[in-house]
Amino acid sequence: MRFNVFLAALCAMPAGLLAQAPNAGRAALQKVCGACHSVEIVTAHGRTRAQWQENIQSMIARGAKGTEDEFKLVLDYLAAEYGPAASGGPLAPPGRAGGRARAFAPGPADQHVVDEAAALRGRKVYAAECITCHGTHARGGDRGADLIRSEIVLHDRYGNSIGPFLKKGHPTQTTPAAQLTPEQIADLSHTLHQELFNTLRPALEIQDVLTGDPKSGAAYFNGAGRCSTCHSPTGDLAHIGSRLDPPAIQQQFLFPGGRGGFRGGRGGRGGGAATKPLTVTVSPASGAPITGALVHMDDFNVALRDGAGEYHSFKRTPDLKVVKNDPLQAHHELLDHYTDKNIHDIVAYLDTLK
Amino acid sequence: MKALILVAFAATSFAAEGLDPAKLGAPPTDSWPTYNGDYSGRRYSPLSKINQTNINSLTLAWVYRAVPGPGGGGRISATPVLVNGILYFTMPDHVWAIDARTGREVWRFQWTSRGGDHIGNRGVGVYGNWLYFETPDCNLVSLNLRDGKERWHKTICDLDQYYFGSMAPLVVRNHVITGVSGDDLDRPGYIESHDPENGDLQWRWYVVPQRMGDPGSDSWPSEEAMKHGGGMTWLTPTYDPGLNMIYVPTGNPQPVIAGKARPGANLFTASIVALNPDSGKMQWYFQSSPHDTHDWDATQTPVLFEGEINGQPRKLVAQASRNGYFFVLDRTNGKNISSTEFVKVNWSKGVDAKGSPIPNPAKEPQLDGALVTPNQGGGTNWPPPTYNPDTGLFYVSASRAFSVYYIYDPSDKPEGWGGNDRGGWGESMIQAIDYKTGKVKWTHKWEDGARSGLLSTAGKLLFAGDGSGNFVALDASTGKALWHANLGNSVSNGPITYELDGTQYLVVAAGDTLYGFAMLR
Repeated sequence: MRFNVFLAALCAMPAGLLAQAPNAGRAALQKVCGACHSVEIVTAHGRTRAQWQENIQSMIARGAKGTEDEFKLVLDYLAAEYGPAASGGPLAPPGRAGGRARAFAPGPADQHVVDEAAALRGRKVYAAECITCHGTHARGGDRGADLIRSEIVLHDRYGNSIGPFLKKGHPTQTTPAAQLTPEQIADLSHTLHQELFNTLRPALEIQDVLTGDPKSGAAYFNGAGRCSTCHSPTGDLAHIGSRLDPPAIQQQFLFPGGRGGFRGGRGGRGGGAATKPLTVTVSPASGAPITGALVHMDDFNVALRDGAGEYHSFKRTPDLKVVKNDPLQAHHELLDHYTDKNIHDIVAYLDTLK
Repeated sequence: MKALILVAFAATSFAAEGLDPAKLGAPPTDSWPTYNGDYSGRRYSPLSKINQTNINSLTLAWVYRAVPGPGGGGRISATPVLVNGILYFTMPDHVWAIDARTGREVWRFQWTSRGGDHIGNRGVGVYGNWLYFETPDCNLVSLNLRDGKERWHKTICDLDQYYFGSMAPLVVRNHVITGVSGDDLDRPGYIESHDPENGDLQWRWYVVPQRMGDPGSDSWPSEEAMKHGGGMTWLTPTYDPGLNMIYVPTGNPQPVIAGKARPGANLFTASIVALNPDSGKMQWYFQSSPHDTHDWDATQTPVLFEGEINGQPRKLVAQASRNGYFFVLDRTNGKNISSTEFVKVNWSKGVDAKGSPIPNPAKEPQLDGALVTPNQGGGTNWPPPTYNPDTGLFYVSASRAFSVYYIYDPSDKPEGWGGNDRGGWGESMIQAIDYKTGKVKWTHKWEDGARSGLLSTAGKLLFAGDGSGNFVALDASTGKALWHANLGNSVSNGPITYELDGTQYLVVAAGDTLYGFAMLR
């Protein structure tokens, strides 16, 4: 019901406003993300646009479903409404998104909020007093404990656990930790929590995927992969190496329907080579077959929009012939044939098309 | 003997209302008293008033929308528990009691949260007059069935360590079995037993060994890696009263994706483990995913049934695991009978002498990416499967999906996740597996991605959700779709069925709404 009201509101709006409408973004978020979990666990995090993009990709891999437009709406909405400022910076803990729904994220609602400047000051303290034994990122080593995994650190807020611990006497006694001022301990606490939050999923990104051999990639493109049957380095793929970074190239050619498109996935299209929509031809027992862009299909019904823009809906019966044409079928089938070397070589080759 | 006395005592004191513990072992008819209906995890109902001949007369009897707060946005992933005509179900921090005949609210309870991951809650456990559920902020809460008033709560994990609660507790005699969730930081998983009267801890069993020299420790490089080795207990175990064993499916090792600092099989993560519910002592284990680096865990229901293998009657446990393998074991001793792929996988080099898959190192996550199937979502996931003794088939919501697994943290000591997977394409289906051969007897593909729990009945029906919001009844023998209703949202839990006053009901959740169907004529 609420959804219908919302749709009506959308229809009344000028089309150009749709992408910016927070309500549309909120609704897409609810539909796409809320299908599997509460939206509060999403909006509790403040992130950069790139981090939201990464997060959405990860969710797609975990089964999130939606159209390209819906994912874009979600991305635009989250980037606009839940940017890094909402939580004090990309390294700040989840659960503190500008007071929004702070309870609904991994970890405690009252968790430590990193002050970036203090964490920077704390790094100097850390480098002088701690780094030799506890390592560059506080993950420990032969000489000192892993501080990221330390329950004293996990229970700490602004030095209230590590302060008393250090005052009691540091086990190694190599540095008289009691000499740290309360300000230094607070700074150190920010630094340690920053390192802790850096191990969480939102803080991580793809590294270097450009490891293949461009020549072998070109050979595969023109040979076994049969990519050149449909694509051309001077046509649809011209300058793709300038338009997309290597991770995007990799994802685009492997999953051109993109967006985790399941079998019936529609409308998927990335920033790379344009892909054609799924089409369907429906042949009633009597009357002419109708072909058009697939709008919806399940076991029981099928709907399409024909070339003239007319919408057609059918109940699927034994005498209704339905033939779906997925222009990306060859890409899907390749997933069972690529080796990882093929994949890395193709990325290297496409990246040369600047 | 002692157990019998306890049961007799319990039966008398709960006779007027509450749950008669004898119900917990029986096939569910006028009750659905535990997460899986009965202890076996089969999710098979002997009811047949709703059957293939009359399924098209099934009627919508009631609808209940569960609104957790002003913003809405909840999802029911809980399987409702039915006791004495009242359905009890949860969302994170929330419990509802509704009339199973009418869908009208009887009471609701809201927990004031201190945080934690609110990704989902699987439901409640019931003992006598009391209800138990876990909260995201690490509490086991006991409510009075009658009015939903809190009786007590106990801490079952440390929120500062990013644990959280999501599992539906399992009640076995005078044990309330609880599990822990959360794989953001590298903490050890465990399972606990609590006194149903006061919540006191009876025992705790760690999924990962705590000291070098303990069983399983030779599958870890160091005590440090092992004690931070994960293995969360996300899912409600199953129980064999005759053998007095609970079957616990365990989660993935930590760090989740970047496994270089934990070489070895990483026992007893991603395994099925048989424990004695009175002592918490391990009886046997079988590892579904040695050295998992794909977040596949093995927290899929270990389903218990009696079967026949090579003409011999056997006590079996079967699991369709997230890594794409279907395992059949002898549940008396954990010995593997068969290991087969229920969806085609590309990450394994076959199975070892014990029946565990052998991971191909080349398909572990890589800096420049490795194309892997199944994807992180898995060949299946937490939604419950069903085993139907009439057809001898094990049914599971399955996906054949690809994604690329990356290492994000190339350091020598990655922590937390240290990587992830991205992208993907896949197909979604129901697989009906013949347990005797491990082979897929039939496949019913869905047009869109589906991930629903399943239910099968003596009415020769299999109930499932597709990816388009349809709740579907299939012919359990052939997979042919016989009936459907579009709920406007994908099925989000495991459907249940029960009979009250001669009417058979069918209850399923889609998003934040519970739908009650019934055969009213």
